[in-house]
Amino acid sequence: MSTSTTPPSPTPRPAVADEAAHGRAIAAAPRGEPQSPLESSSRRTRWLVTLLIVLAMLWTLVPLAWMLLSSFKNRVDVTASTPQVFFTPTLDNYRNLFRGPNNLAPYILHSVLAAGISALLAVFLGALAGYGLARTQMRGKRHLAFWIISTRMAPIAAIVVPLFLIFRGLGLIDSIPGLVLAYLTFNLPFAIWLMSAFFAEVPSSLEESALVSGCSRWQAFYLVILPLTKSGLVTTFILCLVFAWNDYAFAVVFSGPNSQTLPIAASQLVTQTGIDWGQLTAIGTIVVVPMMLAGLAVRRWLVTGLTLGAVTGE
Amino acid sequence: MAGVLYEEATRVYPGSDRPAVDALDLDVHDGEFLVLVGPSGCGKSTSLRMLAGLERVDGGRIAIGDRDVTHLPPRDRDIAMVFQNYALYPHMSVADNMGFALRVMKAPREEIARRVREAARLLDLEEFLDRKPKALSGGQRQRVAMGRAIVREPKVFLMDEPLSNLDAKLRVQTRTQIAALQRRLGVTTVYVTHDQVEAMTMGDRVAVLKDGVLQQVDTPLHLYQHPANVFVADFIGSPSMNLAEYPVVADEAVLGELRVPLSRETLKALQDEGGDRVILGFRPEAVEVVGEGEPAGFPVTVTVVEELGSDAFLYGQYADTADPARLAQTVIARVDPADPPAKGERVRLRIQPGKERLFSAVTGRRLPT
Repeated sequence: MSTSTTPPSPTPRPAVADEAAHGRAIAAAPRGEPQSPLESSSRRTRWLVTLLIVLAMLWTLVPLAWMLLSSFKNRVDVTASTPQVFFTPTLDNYRNLFRGPNNLAPYILHSVLAAGISALLAVFLGALAGYGLARTQMRGKRHLAFWIISTRMAPIAAIVVPLFLIFRGLGLIDSIPGLVLAYLTFNLPFAIWLMSAFFAEVPSSLEESALVSGCSRWQAFYLVILPLTKSGLVTTFILCLVFAWNDYAFAVVFSGPNSQTLPIAASQLVTQTGIDWGQLTAIGTIVVVPMMLAGLAVRRWLVTGLTLGAVTGE
Repeated sequence: MAGVLYEEATRVYPGSDRPAVDALDLDVHDGEFLVLVGPSGCGKSTSLRMLAGLERVDGGRIAIGDRDVTHLPPRDRDIAMVFQNYALYPHMSVADNMGFALRVMKAPREEIARRVREAARLLDLEEFLDRKPKALSGGQRQRVAMGRAIVREPKVFLMDEPLSNLDAKLRVQTRTQIAALQRRLGVTTVYVTHDQVEAMTMGDRVAVLKDGVLQQVDTPLHLYQHPANVFVADFIGSPSMNLAEYPVVADEAVLGELRVPLSRETLKALQDEGGDRVILGFRPEAVEVVGEGEPAGFPVTVTVVEELGSDAFLYGQYADTADPARLAQTVIARVDPADPPAKGERVRLRIQPGKERLFSAVTGRRLPT
C-alpha cells in the first residue's frame, strides 16, 4: 500500500516512462549497450499495436469526418467527382434545414423527448428491477433473468405489428408517450439485465452493513448501493439513449406529424427527385454529435468500476 | 448496555431439512466478550446474523437486554457489526464511513464530528480521516471498520471473523487490541471465528458449535481442561488432544501394554450405556518422557519433532503393537525444548496421573470420573 515500503528497483536501467522524462540526458549519452532481443521484440509488438489502433481509428473516423466536411459544402462541392478536402465552407445546409415548411426543430424536440424520457425511465425501472433480480434468492431466478433478456432477442420487425395494433387501440400512435413505450419495450429488458449485473458486483455485506447502521432497505439502496453503481447507471442510460436516439424502425411505424424524430427527417431527404447530400450530412452531423459528446463527457463512468477498495480483496 | 439472550433460536434455510442453527440457548452477559467458534458450516455466522437481524429466526426467540428483537429489522436493534470483508463504503471518506450511522440517525453535525474524532484518536486513524478506503492498508481498513462500530455506541458489538483477512503477525497484534478495546468500552460483544486460538485468547467465554448445535459454553480454561465431549476436546487446543478408542477389560482401559484404571463412577456410566469401549484422551502436555523401566508408560517411536523454541512437540507411533489401527494413530507429546528426542528414536511416555479425559464411545460425551 504505502510507497515507502517499495524496494528500489535492482536494475538501474530506466523504464520507458523514465526514458521519456530524462530523454535529453539519455540522448546525449552515447548508447553503448546493444539492444537485447527481448527488448526489440517488445518494441515490435508496440509498433504493431499502434498500427492497429491507427487503422481502427481511420476506419471509425474517416466516414464521420467525411460527413462533417460534406455538411459544410455547397451543392457543387458535395457532389464533385474528386472529393474536396479544401473548399469554402458554408452553413447553408444547416440554415436550410431550419427554414421553410419542413423545419427540423420539431424533429429534434421529438427525438430529445422520446429518447431522453425512455432512457431515463429505462434506467429508473431497470435499476429497481435489476436490484431485485440481483438480490433475490428465489428459485428459478436464472430462468427469470434469461426470460427477461430473451424478450429483447426478437427482431424489431417481429414485434412491430402486434405493438402497432395495441398502440392503435390505446390511441398511442403518433404520440411521444407511444414512442417512449415502444423504446421501453426494447430497452427495459436490457437495462434490467445490465443493472442486475452491476448490482451483483456490489458485495451484499455493504447493504447489510448499512441496514445494521440504521438504514431502511430504501435508504441502504440509495445511500450505499446506487452511488456505487453510478458507472452502471451512466452506461445503461447512454446505451438506452443511443438506441432510442438512432431508432428508425419504431419511429417510421408509430410516429406521425406530431412525433417524427430525426432519423425520419433524414429519410425524408431521400426523395424520388434526388438526394440532398448536403442537408443529409448536416442532419447526420446533428444526430451523431450530441451522442459523441455525451459519450465523451461520461467516458470516465463507462469504464470505471467504483467498487474498488470496498472489500479487502480488491 | 445490555446482554443478549438466545432461547431455542433456530434457523432452517429454505430447501434444507437440517437446521443451520438448532435450538440455540445462549445467555451473553452484559459487558461480556463471547466468542462463537466452530469449523466452517457449524452455524456460528448464521447465529450472529440472526442476532443482527440479517437472517430470519424460524423458531425460538432472541432478546437484547429486556427487548425481544426476534422479528425486528436490523436498524431497530441498536447494534453495530464488523464484517469479515469490513464492508467499508468505497465512495465515502474514512470520516464519512465512521459517521455514517449517526448521519442516518440525523445526529447534529458537531456531535458526529466529535464522536468520529474520538474514535479516530482511539484507533490511531486521525491522519486518514479524509482518505477513501481504497487508499488504506488492510490493517487500517480493519480499524476503520472497528471505528464505525465504536462511533455508533451500540448496545452490542457483533464481529464476524474481523481478523481473517489480515496477515498472521497483524492478526495477533490486532487480536489483543480488540480484546483490550472491548474491555475498555465494556460493550457486550459477540465475536465469531473459526480460529480456536483467537477464541481462547479473546473471549471471556467461548461457545463451541458444531452442525448448528451448541456443544459447550465456558471460560477458555475450563473448556480446555474439561471439554464436554470428544468434539470440543479435539477442536480446542493446538496441537490437539490425543484421542482414541480403547476396549475396557475388567475395570481398566487397555492401551496396548498400558492399563488405565477406571473409577467406579466411570464404570457405572459405561455399564448404563452398555458399552465395553471408552474414548481416552490426553493433552500433549499431560505426557512426560520416562525411563525404560517405568511400568506405567508406553513405548513410542518418534516420527517428527516440531521445535518451536519455547516448546517442542513430539509426533510418534505406538511401538508396542502390531495392530494396524493403533499403528495409524499419532501420539503427540510436549517434550523439553532444551533436550528433544531425535527422529526415529524410541522413547517411553507416561500420562500424568489424573490428566486423562474419558469419553463415551457411544455418545462422545465426557464420562464422570
